[in-house]
Amino acid sequence: MDETVAEYIRRTVLKIPRHEIMEMLTMWEFLSKTQLQTINVHQIKEKISQEVVELCEVITSIVNDNHTYRNKKVWTVYQMTKAAGEETDSFNLADFKYKFKRSLRSALKNVTINFREYEDNAIWIRIAWGTQYTKPNQYKATYVVYHSQTPYVFISSLRSSLPLLCQALVHASSYHDIHEMELRSRCIDSLKDIVFKRYSQTFQTYHPRPLQERNVAPEKVDPRIIQENKREKERIQRVNQEVFGEGLQPKIEFAQYKLETMFKGEPEMDILTEKEPFRCVVKFSSPHLLEALKSLAPAGMADAPLSPLLTCIPQKARNYFKIKERKGILSASCLGP
Amino acid sequence: MRRSGRPSLRRRQDMDTSDSGGVTPLGRKTAETGINFTSTTRFSRGLTFIRTHTLFGQSPARRIIPQTCLLQENADPQKIAFLLRKQWTLYSVTPMYKFSYGNLKEYSRLLSAFVAAEKRKGLAVEVGNDLGIKVTLSTLLGLKGTDQDQVAILVQIASRSQLPCENAEDKVVWSGWFCCISGDDLLESVPDDFTCLSLFLANGAESYTAIVGSWFQKTFDCYFSHLTISPLNLAWMAAMWTGCKVDSHMAATELVFSVPCIPQSLDISYAIHPEDAKALWDTVQKTPGEVTQEEVNLFMDCLYSHFHRHFKIHLSATRLVKVSTSIASAHCDGNIKVLN
Repeated sequence: MDETVAEYIRRTVLKIPRHEIMEMLTMWEFLSKTQLQTINVHQIKEKISQEVVELCEVITSIVNDNHTYRNKKVWTVYQMTKAAGEETDSFNLADFKYKFKRSLRSALKNVTINFREYEDNAIWIRIAWGTQYTKPNQYKATYVVYHSQTPYVFISSLRSSLPLLCQALVHASSYHDIHEMELRSRCIDSLKDIVFKRYSQTFQTYHPRPLQERNVAPEKVDPRIIQENKREKERIQRVNQEVFGEGLQPKIEFAQYKLETMFKGEPEMDILTEKEPFRCVVKFSSPHLLEALKSLAPAGMADAPLSPLLTCIPQKARNYFKIKERKGILSASCLGP
Repeated sequence: MRRSGRPSLRRRQDMDTSDSGGVTPLGRKTAETGINFTSTTRFSRGLTFIRTHTLFGQSPARRIIPQTCLLQENADPQKIAFLLRKQWTLYSVTPMYKFSYGNLKEYSRLLSAFVAAEKRKGLAVEVGNDLGIKVTLSTLLGLKGTDQDQVAILVQIASRSQLPCENAEDKVVWSGWFCCISGDDLLESVPDDFTCLSLFLANGAESYTAIVGSWFQKTFDCYFSHLTISPLNLAWMAAMWTGCKVDSHMAATELVFSVPCIPQSLDISYAIHPEDAKALWDTVQKTPGEVTQEEVNLFMDCLYSHFHRHFKIHLSATRLVKVSTSIASAHCDGNIKVLN
């Protein structure tokens, strides 16, 4: 919130007589009833004005945060599961909010919880954490995005209170359990695309996105110029297309692979005869990783088709992997988290 | 001949070490020095390597790894410790004309005034006394490749503490040091009036580096140029440093590649467990105490092919930009950090 606005609010509250404060705040129609109820008008005026300013700041930050922080924080995806045999109840928003607040507040008194609903069934929850003795820190709030029709939850900026939060979510949404998926990115929309399978890969076009505009104007090529590797280039393009799909790739910034496979170089370099795996960690990072990977084979830096370890990222909805040696076969496989 | 003047040089060194009393950056670090001669050997070994590989542009087909301790007995462990765990930007310096080890105090005074004057440029009002900046030049003993090398020089810019009490420590805001390592062949051909301290390492604000550099350039008619490290040399460093035995905690051998020629930038970090990396290097390296180009190539090719097997990406087509091991890390922009 603007410094001058904060100052204005503070001074206004200080100026008007005590018995008129509530009336004025109600007239402003900015703070909700519940919030108004939290203000104690019997304390000294300095404190009242401070509380009012803080409440107003919370409101404005929620409005701003959705737009600013959408693509700035790193989001982690969690999936909730039902116990076997449980049925899906119809979703009740008020019920969810009530249960969530109650669950969190029963464990921690000093939290600020705000909800905001959006058109696409997304519920944004903003939580500011405090401790037993300190007030909630509004500057380091956690954001939770929950799509009520799905078992997926997107959480950002979480420090220590993960178990509490998970418990509250599971309880409020009537699920049984929640686990973290090995999927993280800054672009929450892309994460949604991946888990909701909205990107268009081969044979999976639930919500096809519009195809990228292709430049189809034919170039004026001198017929005397022959492309030496024309066939190979076309093959690479075709294979790349099959593997990555036609549309725009979901936007993720990094992928990490923990490799614990046996070392095996080219046959002529039979170097290590160790029985122990060759341990390494490989991290890929890029402003738009999948698009970068897609361009490697055409640029000649990689073989086509690219390794399934990389191309399976959207499909498997994960970008953190642990690869162990599969017995008897040279290729590596993905294991669970 | 210059060499006959050496005894007198040593005498002057004794005088000059008293200069360093003014600056006290080391008081804070005494608890964590734990310096012994092996690590300082490695330090000068690492420098030898960097110097000969980067300055002359040629990579020798083979290098001898000195196994014995090359340090002089008068090495100051505290000062050496001060050089560790800092990021240094490398510059190459042409021989300096009429530089004298005996005039370090005078140089300190002149450089202090110069730095103060440069800093004051652009300030509308005359600010009290000299902004509390103090420059010290001192010798850095013990960092030589061979006996014939010149003694290293340390330059430090400290800002005087604002507190009025007597024993307030000055804070070092910038450091730079010149050294000459194993430049036997070059030293032979340099005329008497020249001092060959061809490697300069700077840590601190770029503005200070520029000011100090320009003073040296003007005063001693030399030239500073930024050093970059080629991927080939980075590969050598990775191989050699991986092979070194480290007593304390081993960090992973990490290679960072940047992929050129694609629309989106892509960086690949390939970090190998230190024991496994060393095991691989040990099977590649044949003659103890000697490293050849073929061995370095084989080491890198092994790493590339293991990577290719998993990801189908040719790392050899990308650009190696950074190498990091338990011993030291180096970046192609000419930044190094010696950790051990």
